[in-house]
Amino acid sequence: MAAATAAATAAQPRSSKTESYVDNKRKEDIRQANIKAARAVADAVRTSLGPKGMDKMISTANGEVIITNDGATILNKMEVLQPAAKMLVDLSKSQDAAAGDGTTTVVVIAGALLKQCLLLLTNGIHPTVISDSLHKASTKAVDVLTAMAVPLELSDRESLIKSASTSLNSKVVSQYSTLLAPLAVDSVLSVVDPAKPDMVDLRDIKIVKKLGGTVDDTELVKGLVFDKKASHAAGGPTRMENAKIAVIQFQISPPKTDIEQSIVVSDYTQMDRILKEERNYILGMIKKIKATGCNVLLIQKSILRDAVTDLSLHYLAKAKIMVIKDVERDDIEFITKTLNCFPIANIEHFRAEKLGHAALVEEVSLGDGKIVKVTGIKDMGRTTTVLIRGSNQLVIDEAERSLHDALCVVRCLVSKRFLIAGGGAPEIELSRQLGAWSKVLHGMEGYCVRSFAEALEVVPYTLAENAGLNPIAIVTELRNRHAQGEINAGINVRKGQITNILEENVVQPLLVSTSAITLATECVRMILKIDDIVNVR
Amino acid sequence: MAIERILKDDASEEKGERARMASFVGAIAITDLVKTTLGPKGMDKILQSTGRGQEVTVTNDGATILKSLHIDNPAAKVLIDISKVQDDEVGDGTTSVVVLAGELLREAEKLVAAKIHPMTIISGYRIAAECARNALLQRVVDNKENAEKFKSDLMKIAKTTLSSKILSQDKEHFAQLAVDAVMRLKGSTNLEAIQIIKKPGGSLKDSFLDEGFILDKKIGLGQPKRIENAKILVANTAMDTDKVKIYGARVRVDSMSKVAEIEGAEKEKMREKVQKIIAHGINCFVNRQLIYNFPEELFADAGVLAIEHADFDGIERLALVTGGEIASTFDNPESVKLGHCKLIEEIMIGEDKLIHFSGVEMGQACTIVLRGASHHMLDEAERSLHDALCVLSQTVNDTRVVLGGGWPEMVMAKAVDELARQTPGKKSHAIEAFSRSLVAIPTIIADNAGLDSADLVAQLRAEHHKEGCNAGIDVISGSVGDMAELGISESFKVKQAVLLSATEAAEMILRVDEIITCAPRKREDRM
Repeated sequence: MAAATAAATAAQPRSSKTESYVDNKRKEDIRQANIKAARAVADAVRTSLGPKGMDKMISTANGEVIITNDGATILNKMEVLQPAAKMLVDLSKSQDAAAGDGTTTVVVIAGALLKQCLLLLTNGIHPTVISDSLHKASTKAVDVLTAMAVPLELSDRESLIKSASTSLNSKVVSQYSTLLAPLAVDSVLSVVDPAKPDMVDLRDIKIVKKLGGTVDDTELVKGLVFDKKASHAAGGPTRMENAKIAVIQFQISPPKTDIEQSIVVSDYTQMDRILKEERNYILGMIKKIKATGCNVLLIQKSILRDAVTDLSLHYLAKAKIMVIKDVERDDIEFITKTLNCFPIANIEHFRAEKLGHAALVEEVSLGDGKIVKVTGIKDMGRTTTVLIRGSNQLVIDEAERSLHDALCVVRCLVSKRFLIAGGGAPEIELSRQLGAWSKVLHGMEGYCVRSFAEALEVVPYTLAENAGLNPIAIVTELRNRHAQGEINAGINVRKGQITNILEENVVQPLLVSTSAITLATECVRMILKIDDIVNVR
Repeated sequence: MAIERILKDDASEEKGERARMASFVGAIAITDLVKTTLGPKGMDKILQSTGRGQEVTVTNDGATILKSLHIDNPAAKVLIDISKVQDDEVGDGTTSVVVLAGELLREAEKLVAAKIHPMTIISGYRIAAECARNALLQRVVDNKENAEKFKSDLMKIAKTTLSSKILSQDKEHFAQLAVDAVMRLKGSTNLEAIQIIKKPGGSLKDSFLDEGFILDKKIGLGQPKRIENAKILVANTAMDTDKVKIYGARVRVDSMSKVAEIEGAEKEKMREKVQKIIAHGINCFVNRQLIYNFPEELFADAGVLAIEHADFDGIERLALVTGGEIASTFDNPESVKLGHCKLIEEIMIGEDKLIHFSGVEMGQACTIVLRGASHHMLDEAERSLHDALCVLSQTVNDTRVVLGGGWPEMVMAKAVDELARQTPGKKSHAIEAFSRSLVAIPTIIADNAGLDSADLVAQLRAEHHKEGCNAGIDVISGSVGDMAELGISESFKVKQAVLLSATEAAEMILRVDEIITCAPRKREDRM
């Protein structure tokens, strides 16, 4: 109500709309505030860009500490409140979903674009004009990038590894990039379905983290890994060759009905009988299981009743059946796909053809914990498991995030088979070509496109700055080299100079660059179009 | 002697001048809030929720903004209501209607200040609205007979509607999508058959129209992933044991084997139910509730594709488009209507697997899959597309089309102006005011685009002095242009609804001379 009255008093003096000057102060203020907030977010992650980018330590509300270099993770944990700043956080999430890598780049580009937009706005250009020009410029930019890109064959393992290591090089685990990059490439390639060669479902790659060892011990397992130990409460087997594996969704424990039930015991002789019946019941089940030749049981977790009891474990151990219990329901699909078997929901349906076969199932001690490995699976589905090791939880988590980025990079290459140079080369080339293009455009558009071109220089500038080089000198030289037609010249952060970046094996997928540009532009356009923030229910 | 209190404690009463002022102030404030969203260069608003999660919505849609506002002013609430009604009735023009009503009130305020009785203003407005409508009716174009032209009309309308939204950059693409979808409906306004699925990722251009129906669910384990000539049973039934629903029902047994028997019986019941369902001769079973592991396995054994936990909206729509009925008992297979479709298969959009039903019974059905950078984007795109679909489906029924870009307002204003000159008496002031309010719309469109509105509107008025002129504001070039050439059209039905409901709302607020606020209901403090 207060706001309504205030607005009305403001409205009263201008009686007729056609004659009075329209006061736009508030809208300007809102826009400025939005841009400033969004830029603050962009500045926060700017220093983590590039191979010499720094990491951030985030201590979350519940006392957990995260050290990361991943833009999406940093922003995600930042808990920003300002709506426009939130949009930048969402932007990095979108990039994560679309390309998986370049989550910092996209935010940095958006921040630079906003900075230029602020200049344009103060020059009195209408936001929608800026927005339309940005859209045009970004479409053009994608064309330029596509023209720069180098086609790639999936059989070219070397190039795939190169681009995966470019992504890994900016992370904490960069010293392990020689190990992790081929691992990422192999695991993605092993899940590509020949029927649908453009599609990779990253859910087919399971990442299991286990504390202990170093990142060096990370390995790709052709098979399954359970971060659990086999149940050997009653001394059951922990190693099984020629395993016949059953995935069961029922429980091996005394019967329980959905209706509430109670057993009435009227005299003590009955007690004995009940105990005996229970034993027989379980024994009956286990006999049926044994009859099919099954020797490894994976039991789905149940909330209604105990999946196994001590008694049933005892009998299972006697029957020489290895038991892994508490398998999550969500994992069942992955497991059945890998083992090429079917889940069994009832003891009556326990048949030999539903079992999966593997050469070896064994429990392995790792550090202070134990895991169960299933290897040599017969007719294995197109899935892969990666076992990540590390000396502490922080490293493992960061290794997982980095590996995820590397997997995404490879996935991008599978779906869109083009590579582009890294090291700021595409951005500076874009900036040059768009700058030239802006000269042939008319009116405001040309002016806005030029600003867009200038904004893109932020990527090489930041790369140089983070590497401790003189950004102005580097960017100027880079511009110079590109003007002479060396379109692949980029910043070589290791050597601290400008070289042909393609020869240095710094490459990234085209999809990452194009989606960073289009997403950043879309987000900036959205922020520009906002002229008011309204509090609602 | 002082009059005793008539009203309850916290209730308040405002009378005469004060009451009228309060309603004017409220209505005008609302108008000012949404008016910057009008037109192709209108701006967006951030709606920041104060509730849990502090969610942020970015929108340009008048109805969405107004719907979510905190409002304590009765007159402002009336405006919000008309925008809601406009949204339900025709789907578009939700901002226009509020702005017009607000402008009418702004003019009325001045007239009241000039000591003209509200009733006189009301009757003047009424005459003016009638006259404006007739003027517009004379200029409508109806291409009902010519299918080719009508389709291009639809395209134009869709583009005009979309040009003020987030989709403006890809309006060609989306206009085509919307027109195709609406043409499939073959005249029905049942937008239920058009399903919109939002999937983050990709860009807006990757959005596409798909015939058939897409369900955002997974196929059960070990079941066929592709079925041709599917017979679908849509159900809403609990797949676990039918529990005895009497409180405290329990079974007493005296031995373990009996418990096992009961469990066996329960399983048997489930099996029977599954058997009954399979006996319908189906090969696809969609349930709204969970299907547990056990029945899932049974279905898999029978080669039936079972989909569990489909949301309510999903199964109702699925039943609609496949021509089936939602069943909950399975004793009489004859009486259950099964749904049919040619092909069910699993498809992948972005990262997610979805189930695609193609060749469905109801040919009208189709799905629009929206792709976009973020959730904000997708939500806003959905709202925009919804507006376009509504307008198009209305236009298919009422094929009359008018030009856009402030053209209808100018035509109406001209006719109303002439009427004012012919009308004797005080009413003529009101009629004149009505014409001024109409002109306010092109003025605001120009203002929002950062153009010199005073100059443009004057030019426009001069152009409209000629007979049969098509001039309107061309926001892109910032001048007066020929709307017919630029292909900017609007549905007559929308314009008419804007005109009539805005007038009615203004009239209603004008009539008010006393506001009684009832005492708020006391809330018990819960300890």
